[in-house]
Amino acid sequence: PLPLPRSFVLKCLEQARRVQAEAVEMQQKLCATYRLCHPEELTLLGHSLSIPWVPLKGCSSQDLQPTRCLRQLQAGLVLYRGLLRALVGISPELSPTVDTLQLDVADFATTIWQQMEDLGTAPAVQPTPGTMLTFTSAFQRQAVGAMVASQLQCFLELAYRALRYLRGP
Amino acid sequence: ENCGHISISAHVMRLGDPVTASCTVTQSCSHLDPEPQILWKLGAELLQHRGRQQSHPDGSQKSTITLPHLNSTHTFLLCYLNWSNSLQLLDQAELWAGYPPAMPSNLSCLMNLTSNSLICQWEPGPDTHLPTNFTLKSFKSRGDCQTQEDPIKDCVPAAGQSSCSIPRKHLLLYQNMVIWVQAENALGTSLSPQLCLDPMDVVKLEPPTLMALDPNPEMALPQPDCLWLRWEPWKPSIYMDQKCELRYRPQLREASWAQVAPLPSSTTRYELCGLRPATTYALQMRCIRWPLPGHWSTWSPSLELQTT
Repeated sequence: PLPLPRSFVLKCLEQARRVQAEAVEMQQKLCATYRLCHPEELTLLGHSLSIPWVPLKGCSSQDLQPTRCLRQLQAGLVLYRGLLRALVGISPELSPTVDTLQLDVADFATTIWQQMEDLGTAPAVQPTPGTMLTFTSAFQRQAVGAMVASQLQCFLELAYRALRYLRGP
Repeated sequence: ENCGHISISAHVMRLGDPVTASCTVTQSCSHLDPEPQILWKLGAELLQHRGRQQSHPDGSQKSTITLPHLNSTHTFLLCYLNWSNSLQLLDQAELWAGYPPAMPSNLSCLMNLTSNSLICQWEPGPDTHLPTNFTLKSFKSRGDCQTQEDPIKDCVPAAGQSSCSIPRKHLLLYQNMVIWVQAENALGTSLSPQLCLDPMDVVKLEPPTLMALDPNPEMALPQPDCLWLRWEPWKPSIYMDQKCELRYRPQLREASWAQVAPLPSSTTRYELCGLRPATTYALQMRCIRWPLPGHWSTWSPSLELQTT
């Protein structure tokens, strides 16, 4: 098993809860401000804009593979940071939330990356956020915001379960 | 062209140090009086017979003066010409005297979850009597702070303040950073000892909110020696695992606090028994981030409940 320091796992759990709370807040603000309250209605739009979806296969409870899980979690966080960066300036009401969320997602990714480096399990190349999304309308940007907020929560719930398993009793 | 000008060893010096200055009366001005008498003032005080005056081949006159100890933190040195029995001011030099900055001490930092910034404060040390700039310097690090990673933008406190606030966007949370204070004035620079900390480990929590809880409805009669309460952690810290302490005391003269063993923040209600019946109690609670490091909040305002 991967010798994960307990303080590292505890920090990750706290960061996951922190980011989760901010993603919920972002979703609530998008719902209140733009009536985008049903992200499931935006799946088709997501495909058309090729919004990347981040699988966490290594973190599934049936087949948890710690090294793979941490790599996918870190890569996913880097991807979400890129998606959030595209939403900067989305609106005055949302900007503070998006800015904080972006910073916290980036810090969470750094926490995991540095731990992987310390354990010698970091991939040779740091994952990158990928190409910056561009939007043809304010609606598209707001809709992607709703999708990102929703997907990020699912992503974090899966990650949280895996981290809790890694924490042990 | 100026009639005369002052040359001086330094305009800023240590309090009590000597200062040497010379005042040169140019030849163009000397013709007014073949033997011009150069006089000095320090502030308002005329310095009698203190200057050593010499003539120069080019016809100029030069007076040199040495003040053994400058004991004024801010003053002027003035050069006069005694001309037709009136003192004519030729030039003046502004002088400051003070001390190099002492090492700033007692640097401490707290992470404010409301403003999402790291607020550090320090003791500036004794007054230097000179304009002294303090700067909070830091860089990102990791592990035990032996490596320097990205530098962080200098934090310059407001004038006269011994604290500075590093905004969230400059911070890397959950990783160690190195922080210190630099004090600088014209006479020198000094650095405080360095701190190695993760901003999240120095979070200062606000106290939880204590509330009364109705006794269990299934209970026929509420026990006379019990009180029921619940609490909510401070909202900005809701994502943090915490432990909390409850203390209580009867509203009686000389009553002292009794304390309940730490309560994990996951339980947010509590039945407190073993109390005196028909008595009003004051209850307070405080919390701390746990098991990860943190600082205790202050005690909450008292909640007053009465046993039946």
